Amino acid sequence: MHISEGILQGPVLAAGFAGAALIAAATMRKLDMEEIPKISVITSVFFVASLIKVPIGPTSVHLILNGLVAVVLGWRAFPAIMLGIILQAIIFGHGGVTVIGVNSVMLGGGALVAYMVWQQRHRFDFARREFIFGAMAGATATISSGLVLALALLTTGEAFGGVAIAVLAAHVPIMLIEGAVVGAAAEFLNRVKPEMLAGRNAPSA
Amino acid sequence: MSRRVIIDVDDVHFNYPDGHQVLKGLSCRIHEGEKVALIGPNGAGKSTFMSHLNGVQLPVSGRVVIDGVDVRKETLKQVRRKVGIVFQDPDDQLFCPTVFDDVAFGPLNLGLPREQIDARVQEALEVVGLQGFEERSSFHLSFGERKRLALATVLSYQPEILVFDEPSTNMDPLNRRNLINWLRNTDRTILLCTHDLDIALEVCDRCLLLVDGRIEADGPSGDILYDRSLLEANKLELPLALMTHELLHNILSAQDMEEGERVIIRNFLHAHRHAHGPENGHHVHIHAHDVDHDHLHEDVDDHHFKEVRAQQSETPRGD
Amino acid sequence: MALDIDRFANVASPVQRWDPRFKIAALMFLIVCIALLKTLPVAAVAFGIAALILLSTALPLHFVSHGLTFVVVFLLPFFVVMPLTYPGEPAFTIIGLPFAWEGLRIASLIFIKALSVVLISFAVFGSSRFDVSMLALQRLKCPPLIVQMLLFTYRYTFVFLDEMRRMYTSMRARGFVAHADRKTLHVFGNFVGTLLVHSFERTERVYKAMLSKGYQGQLHSMVTFRAIPGDYVKAAIALVIALALVITDASGVFAVAERGWF
Repeated sequence: MHISEGILQGPVLAAGFAGAALIAAATMRKLDMEEIPKISVITSVFFVASLIKVPIGPTSVHLILNGLVAVVLGWRAFPAIMLGIILQAIIFGHGGVTVIGVNSVMLGGGALVAYMVWQQRHRFDFARREFIFGAMAGATATISSGLVLALALLTTGEAFGGVAIAVLAAHVPIMLIEGAVVGAAAEFLNRVKPEMLAGRNAPSA
Repeated sequence: MSRRVIIDVDDVHFNYPDGHQVLKGLSCRIHEGEKVALIGPNGAGKSTFMSHLNGVQLPVSGRVVIDGVDVRKETLKQVRRKVGIVFQDPDDQLFCPTVFDDVAFGPLNLGLPREQIDARVQEALEVVGLQGFEERSSFHLSFGERKRLALATVLSYQPEILVFDEPSTNMDPLNRRNLINWLRNTDRTILLCTHDLDIALEVCDRCLLLVDGRIEADGPSGDILYDRSLLEANKLELPLALMTHELLHNILSAQDMEEGERVIIRNFLHAHRHAHGPENGHHVHIHAHDVDHDHLHEDVDDHHFKEVRAQQSETPRGD
Repeated sequence: MALDIDRFANVASPVQRWDPRFKIAALMFLIVCIALLKTLPVAAVAFGIAALILLSTALPLHFVSHGLTFVVVFLLPFFVVMPLTYPGEPAFTIIGLPFAWEGLRIASLIFIKALSVVLISFAVFGSSRFDVSMLALQRLKCPPLIVQMLLFTYRYTFVFLDEMRRMYTSMRARGFVAHADRKTLHVFGNFVGTLLVHSFERTERVYKAMLSKGYQGQLHSMVTFRAIPGDYVKAAIALVIALALVITDASGVFAVAERGWF
């Protein structure tokens, strides 16, 4: 879930941009020329996929899939997600321009946590390994992002305590949805084109 | 007429890191101004071969020399200036915000002076009939326009050699015909990698048959594209233009018919072969045979052809 | 889903004519100032200004509807939750739940600010060609690598949108209907997986085509920017407005009136 404009205080916004810049720099080190079109093209798939609406009850929710970005791009998931957030802010007004930094840290950071979970799969070997770890990655990404979002809201003031809890509660069904979709996608990729899955060789990138 | 060798591929071997052998001793030489068709079944290594022509991939052993320049890491920019590859899917080659930018991409990256870029882009767009499209975005063009634009993006830096990967796929008949005319009229060296054997028949005077990483056959299109057994042994077929030809030939040899009709059909087949043969329809004639022969799928070295070639060398070849 | 943000970039208006570098820098500054406002009356003025800016771009109103939708959908819960969960003494109770005016005030403040920022943001990016905006960002010191990737991503979004539509059509033609169940999620997972596989194969081909034309890691552009006096004037006006809003807001002039009202 992206946070909108107008809520967060100045220092938090600034910290968001600073944090995003630092993490982006760290995750883009030694970028191979070949990765430039690769990250861009995969980001645009995610951008387009985020337009998919999943019905839940009376309403529907957009897919975020930051967990899946991690499964496919590994550490480079952070710059990819940041690109997606910038475009969403500019083209759709989804999120917003002042919160690009915070949203990047939130969703991109969630992806990095998801990647660490995904990498744990090397310790196991069983039939539906990719599905399980993919699902865990999807769920972890969502809940980590949710926690960062709640935290950001709390920095604004105690008035936002109620909203923070409501937001976290809303993340629970989203966690389940993202987990299911990312798990299915990871399993699909493992069957069809396993070289696309990140972190194949060593657990450390 | 001896023209210099512009593409020299010498015993090239290539395999992927996982061990998969793709090119197994490929050799060929293409001369300046030649129009060559590269045909072969899927998986034979056509794409890999093309990648070796501009150094996108480098051979594991053997060498590739383009217009006198050995293709190596150090010479990549030079080589890429000389070779223009037009790939099959235009969306793989149009990645800039505007038509102008896409056409200028090659010249800008290959170091052409900025003052000339504008003119180059204009010329290239005119050649493909997309003048006035400069400010538009490539993703809003129709498929046919994007195919033409992809060609323009390569023409703009004026390479001596043009390589086409499946140029006529998905093209409507008019655009395909325009492409054929353009290819026939240009004086550049052309390499057409294609399954469309009819376009190969119309445009190219020479054919390379690539099978399993090696050149299995190399000769005039007139020979290779008429050779049904060779083609079918390699998962190909006769060009459509020649299938009618063959049908009539079978009728001719199987049926009982009046001599008059037989002569008519034979003359038709004769003219048909000349129309679709290496002379490219420049020289089509019908005459009566005083020697009873049909030269449809057998070796053709009879005096009749010598006659034709003699006549041809007297008339200048308009290209 | 209209992705081309710049489809009205050629309309003639003072904003469209503004040098994109100045436009982006000045209006982003204004946006930040608005995002940090703390009093409702000043925020309302800011909203008026934002609406004026958008109007002066001659962009049609339906253009911004999607951005406004996001703001409304995201912030609607705030209007419900915040007044009911505001810590401290409630003003009164509604059906047993405590209601605090302050919560309502904050929610309204956020809502108006968010709307204002979205209006200006669309005015900025809807009034220039996308690649021109990106290159302006690069001139304003945004890293060229990010700009390059944004341009590629934007370009390929259209290709994948097309592909996605075609795939979805073929799925629906075979009877697929999206429900709130595991099977649907499984199908979506495979769907996204397929798109990813196509994208992966496409990047290999795109990279090959780029290399073939001499690509060495940078994107060259022939776009040039030329500033005219009007650009400076517009920027100065924007800056003055922004500062006026900030100073008025900080001076607490309205805070007293607000406290009285609430």
